[in-house]
Amino acid sequence: MAQSQAVAIHYDKPMWASIRAKRMELQSCDDCGEFHYPPGPTCPHCLSMTLSWKPLSGRGKIVSWVVYHRQYFDDYPPPFNVVAVQLAEGPIIITNLVGPEPEGSWIDREVEIVYEPDARGEPLNRVRLVG
Amino acid sequence: MNGLKNVAAVIGVGESDYVADHARVRAGEKPHDSNGYAAIAFKRALDDAGIGRDDVDGLIVGPTVAYERIGEVLGINPTWGGQQDAMLAVIEACMAIKSGLATCVAIVYGNDQRSAAVQYGGPEAMGGNLFLSYVYHAPWGFTSQGSLYAMMFRRFSELTGCTERHLGEVAVAQRLAASLNPGALMRKPITLDDYMASPYICEPLHLFDYCLINDGGVALIICEAEKAKRIAAKKPVAIHGVGRFDLNRGATSLEPRLLDFYRPAQEACAKQVYDMAGLGPEDMDAVQIYDSFSCHIPFALEGYGYCRSGDVGRFMSEEGIALGRKLPVNTGGGHLSHSYMQGWNHQVEAVRQVRGECGPRQVEGCRFVHYNSDVAGKAVSIIYGV
Repeated sequence: MAQSQAVAIHYDKPMWASIRAKRMELQSCDDCGEFHYPPGPTCPHCLSMTLSWKPLSGRGKIVSWVVYHRQYFDDYPPPFNVVAVQLAEGPIIITNLVGPEPEGSWIDREVEIVYEPDARGEPLNRVRLVG
Repeated sequence: MNGLKNVAAVIGVGESDYVADHARVRAGEKPHDSNGYAAIAFKRALDDAGIGRDDVDGLIVGPTVAYERIGEVLGINPTWGGQQDAMLAVIEACMAIKSGLATCVAIVYGNDQRSAAVQYGGPEAMGGNLFLSYVYHAPWGFTSQGSLYAMMFRRFSELTGCTERHLGEVAVAQRLAASLNPGALMRKPITLDDYMASPYICEPLHLFDYCLINDGGVALIICEAEKAKRIAAKKPVAIHGVGRFDLNRGATSLEPRLLDFYRPAQEACAKQVYDMAGLGPEDMDAVQIYDSFSCHIPFALEGYGYCRSGDVGRFMSEEGIALGRKLPVNTGGGHLSHSYMQGWNHQVEAVRQVRGECGPRQVEGCRFVHYNSDVAGKAVSIIYGV
C-alpha cells in the first residue's frame, strides 16, 4: 500500500497551488462565464480558449456519498466517507465531509470548503456542513 | 436506420477453462499469459464454427492484448484488423463486413489479470488510466470503479427507493444461474439474507455486488450472413441490431453518472438498437448486462425500457430477474459469479442461449437476447437472435 497523493497534470498546476494556498480556484470562461472541472485547455461549454482562474465561493451541496470499509491507502484507514459535492459554480468535485455527519440522507445538504492537512501535511480541500 | 441489421451472424464461440485455470492461479501457478488464453479461446471458436484458421480474414482483439502480437500468434494476415472492447469489437466486425473490408472476423480476448495481480483500486490505479480520471479522486481516498458505482447507486437508491435489499436480487439471481453453469467460478447459491450479511466494500455496495477477478480468454467468429449459412457447422446466430451513445461531457466531474445515471445514453442507444432490429424489450427472452458491479442491472433495466422509470426495485423483487422468472438476466452468472471477461463472456452466453445449448440454465424457447453495457458513460447494445 502507499499514501494517496495529488497528481497534477499540466492544466491542474494552478488549481493545486490555489488549494495549497487555502483559496481554491477553478477555470472560468471569459466568453461564456461558465466554470468547468477538471482544468483543461478549452471551455467545454463553448470551446473558448480564453480562460481565467477564479476563486470559488466555497459553497456547495452534497450530491451523493459513500463510506469505505476497505483500505486502499495508508492515510485513509476505514471507515471513512467520500462525498460528491456540486459547487455553487456548477461542477461536481470529489472530497470528504469532516465534522458532524447528517442524520438520514446526506443528499442536498449544504456544505462549505475547509482546508485540512493531507498525508504530507499540506492543505487539502474538504467540506463541512453549513450551519 | 437499419444499417447493420442481419448483416452478420455469430458462427463460433470459444472460452478458456475458467474453473480449472482459476484453481491453478490460486495455487500459485500461471497457466498462460493473456496471449495464451486468447489462443485457446480462438481455437475453440474455430472448432465450434467448424471452419479453419484460413477462413478468417478479419481480426479484432480486446484491449488487454496487442493486436499485432495476437495476429502473429494466431498466424492471421487479415484484410481488416483492430482493437476494441467486447461490445465495440462486435460492432466493428459488423461494420467491416458491411463495408466489404472483411467477410469473416475473429474477435479475440485474453486477460491474465488475476495471475498478473492487476490492481483496479488503490495506489497502482491512481494515475494509470488517465481517462478514468482517478487523479481527480484519489487525493480524497476515492479510488476504484466500485466506488464510482457505489456513489451512483447511493443517489439512485435515495431518489427511487431501490434499496440494498432490492439490489441484492441481482447477486442472488446471478448466483442461481452460476449454480447451473459448470463453467462458472462461484456456484454455491446465496440468499438475500446472505447478501445483506455480507461485508460492505464501499458502502452501500457489498462484497457480493463486486465482480470476480480471474484469468481467461474468449473468442467469437462473426461472419457475413449468407457466407455464414454456407460455412458454419451450426445454425448461425444473427446480429439483429446494434446501438451506441457516449456521454463524455462532464465525465470526470461525474454529472452524467451522478445526476443522470447515464440514462440519456441508454435511451438513445435503446432507440437505435430497437429500431434497427425492429424489436422491443417485450420481444427479449433474456438479457445480458455488463456487470462489473450489480447496480449496472437496475440502471440498464430502467434505461432500456424493461420497467418503468423509478420502479426497478419493485420489478426486480416482485417480477424477478432470475431464471424462471419474468426477465432472466445474466443467465450464465455474469461477471459476479461466472467469470470477469469484461463483457466478452456475455456475448458467448447470448449466443448459446439463442442456440439452446445451455442445459439446466437454458431459457425455454429463447429466440432473442439483448446485450447492453454502460462502461463509464459509453452505452452499447446488441440484439442477438434466431
